[in-house]
Amino acid sequence: MVEPFAVREPNVYRPSRGGFDEVFALGGIPREHAQALVAELARLGPAQLAEAGRLRDAIFVQQGITFDATGEDGPVRDRPFPLDLVPRILPADEWASIERGLEQRIRALNHFVDDVYHGREVVRAGVVPWRLVVSRSHFARAVHGVRPPGGVYCHVAGCDLVRDADGSWKVLEDNVRTPSGISYVLENRVAMTRLVPRLFQHYRPRPVDHYPQLLLAALRAVAPGADEEATVVVWTPGPHNSAYFEHAFLARQMGVELVEATDLVVRDDVLYMRTTAGLRRVHAVYRRLDDDFADPLEFRPDSLLGVPGLVRAYRAGTVAVANAFGTGVADDKAIYHYVPAMIRFYLGEEPILDNVETYLMSDRAAREHALSRMDELVFKPTGESGGKGVFIGPQTEPDVLAGLADVVRAQPDRWIAQEVVQLSTVPTAGPDGRIAPRHVDLRPFAVFGEGITIVPGGLTRVAMVEGSMVVNSSRGGGSKDTWVLEPGDRPGPRPADELPPPVVPLPGLRQGSDWTGQQQQQQQGRG
Amino acid sequence: MLARIAHELFWLGRNITRAEHTARMLDGVFQADLQARPSGPTGVAFGWRSILATMGVDPGTAPVRRDDVLRRLTLDRDEPASIVSCVERSREQARTVRDVISAEMWESLNTTHLRLRDGDMEGRLATSPYAVLRDVRERCALFWGLMQRTMLRDEARSFLVAGGRIESADMVLRMLRVALPGDEVSSSDGQALALLQAVGGFQAFRRAVPAPANARPVMRFLVYEAAYPDSVAASIAGAQVQLEVADHAPRSSEPVLRLSRLGADLELRARSTEGDDLAAVCAGVQAELAAVDRDIAERYFAGAAPLGVVSTV
Repeated sequence: MVEPFAVREPNVYRPSRGGFDEVFALGGIPREHAQALVAELARLGPAQLAEAGRLRDAIFVQQGITFDATGEDGPVRDRPFPLDLVPRILPADEWASIERGLEQRIRALNHFVDDVYHGREVVRAGVVPWRLVVSRSHFARAVHGVRPPGGVYCHVAGCDLVRDADGSWKVLEDNVRTPSGISYVLENRVAMTRLVPRLFQHYRPRPVDHYPQLLLAALRAVAPGADEEATVVVWTPGPHNSAYFEHAFLARQMGVELVEATDLVVRDDVLYMRTTAGLRRVHAVYRRLDDDFADPLEFRPDSLLGVPGLVRAYRAGTVAVANAFGTGVADDKAIYHYVPAMIRFYLGEEPILDNVETYLMSDRAAREHALSRMDELVFKPTGESGGKGVFIGPQTEPDVLAGLADVVRAQPDRWIAQEVVQLSTVPTAGPDGRIAPRHVDLRPFAVFGEGITIVPGGLTRVAMVEGSMVVNSSRGGGSKDTWVLEPGDRPGPRPADELPPPVVPLPGLRQGSDWTGQQQQQQQGRG
Repeated sequence: MLARIAHELFWLGRNITRAEHTARMLDGVFQADLQARPSGPTGVAFGWRSILATMGVDPGTAPVRRDDVLRRLTLDRDEPASIVSCVERSREQARTVRDVISAEMWESLNTTHLRLRDGDMEGRLATSPYAVLRDVRERCALFWGLMQRTMLRDEARSFLVAGGRIESADMVLRMLRVALPGDEVSSSDGQALALLQAVGGFQAFRRAVPAPANARPVMRFLVYEAAYPDSVAASIAGAQVQLEVADHAPRSSEPVLRLSRLGADLELRARSTEGDDLAAVCAGVQAELAAVDRDIAERYFAGAAPLGVVSTV
């Protein structure tokens, strides 16, 4: 039995009122799966944690694992991506249910995208209004009637999950365009083993480093013309994109080219890249930019980032694009409202993961209800991502809310309102190494190739300021390494740790305790 | 490989090598300058004004002061020829080819960049230029060393090394041309010695050449000695080997053929012991290298669309 943390440390840990703390239950007693972690943190103490934090910043800056953020004094370039040194631990059974829930959700979303551009059964059945679908900015007429290889649209998905005050998991939004963050999941794990190796002593978190191989296999699986070795590329908007680090990381990990628009050219409806030996055919593109910018002939004509003719090549079936064009329609916050209904409609199942209570502003009754409770709700524009344009009612001035009400009334289709979720907290180390509760969310990553695979854990984003619920890295949030335990894994010393390490004599060394008389005799006998 | 990436790698190699050579040259000249006596036999190795000219910087008409030149060619971020600018450019290039070079190479280069950006660099340069310039040299050497250990031997590496070799030849030629005014008789032995020190070839010369370190043997060593890795001949041969590896049809490759002709010509001249006009040879080689540069751009990088321009179907 581990003592309450507060007894061991002058640094008293006070979970926020009314929220769910993932490590400490009521009375400051650590939950069972976290007891070994708490004991180890107490042993490390604030000074060592702070020291490890300084080392982390130095390493991240050196390795260029940095992020461009917006601080109070304007934009901050090359800020080390903030990794909190206290991991978040998810027991196996809890993860198993998240995994099933996400797979179900992604399957339904994929059905939905296919349906939108083909039969529209979901509309004819009256589940989702067509007017809503066609008014989405990510609805792509250009790919109407086109079915990608294998019928997969959402090759890569990253759904954001939060835990409510009672600890239950809810989906906050679906990201099926270009969800970022997986590189930090992989880098964080490596960094943790270097910075706080002792924390791994009692846990064996499930590995995450197979993601690039999963992604590559998924891309190869959908590449047309697979009689030859498929050429896969990662397409980045360029080094000035805030997620460029991730684009380069994925290309490097997969061993494929990282291309920009100027490297690509379409000839006779076939996509090529420009190489030192002339043009070379490309079979599959993992693109990290939105439809809008992908092809100036089909989408925004002013895009300098695009490849003219790419959509034609895609329609001709000579190249696979992940995620498929038009997928963004499922990434919309108004469409999100209908996902539980889609699961029932397409799969005939009950949703395993619930949505956060959401009000569509296009619905008159819901709108009046939400506008009468503006100071209690969160208002989000439907087509944005990364926390842009979000108003949190309880933290917004009344006159701003009054102005917002006019905006919402003028364009109700463009807004949703959600109940505020009292995000769960996890112990987090401050710059001085002291532990305090901070709010978190979770973005697990899924790859849809021949089947759906979900990387254990995902990117836990953490608000670095006390009480804040803003976890977006672009707005100063940090991250945590997220450990999913194996089924039946009970924290405790690893069996291997109890064995003495084997003594392996180094060749060429003539001295040392392992150079025994017996070996000497053997050597002499040979000579 | 992608034409754009090959282009970036080639110039990454050139920029790093330029930074290293600039550091070596400044260090050598600074040392020679400190020890110079107006009437002494070693003399002032290069004038600081000609150093600026060597690096393609307009020295202007105002008097040129040592500390200004040092600062300008080392830490001035507005001066494209400065070490800090070379490193910054190479770091930006490395950023775009991070998936091609090894993570360790990128990290070492990023660290070099961050160190040079450090606030107290001006102070360090003022008190101990040697420490700063040595640091640059070592950081550049570390990059190449890490390449040897961690980067795949593929065409990406070939373009990187080829860039480094061509820059190396070019830098040595630039320095030689400043040390070798039209008539080479007037170049003093002191100048030659300072040049040898600057490129880091003093010990190599001592071991390879029995003659005293007088102007002519030193110059010949720096141009022709195939066994010395930084000689013009060795750099040209090195660049040729790399392009042969990278090219899918090296026998019909104009840059490979030109480098091979140039190498053969230097080898022939190296055997004749008497009477060649070194200044003219250097000028000729430099002109040929410029042609090689154009050939390389045309053969390997022409596929890369100019940045910011979207090609039409």
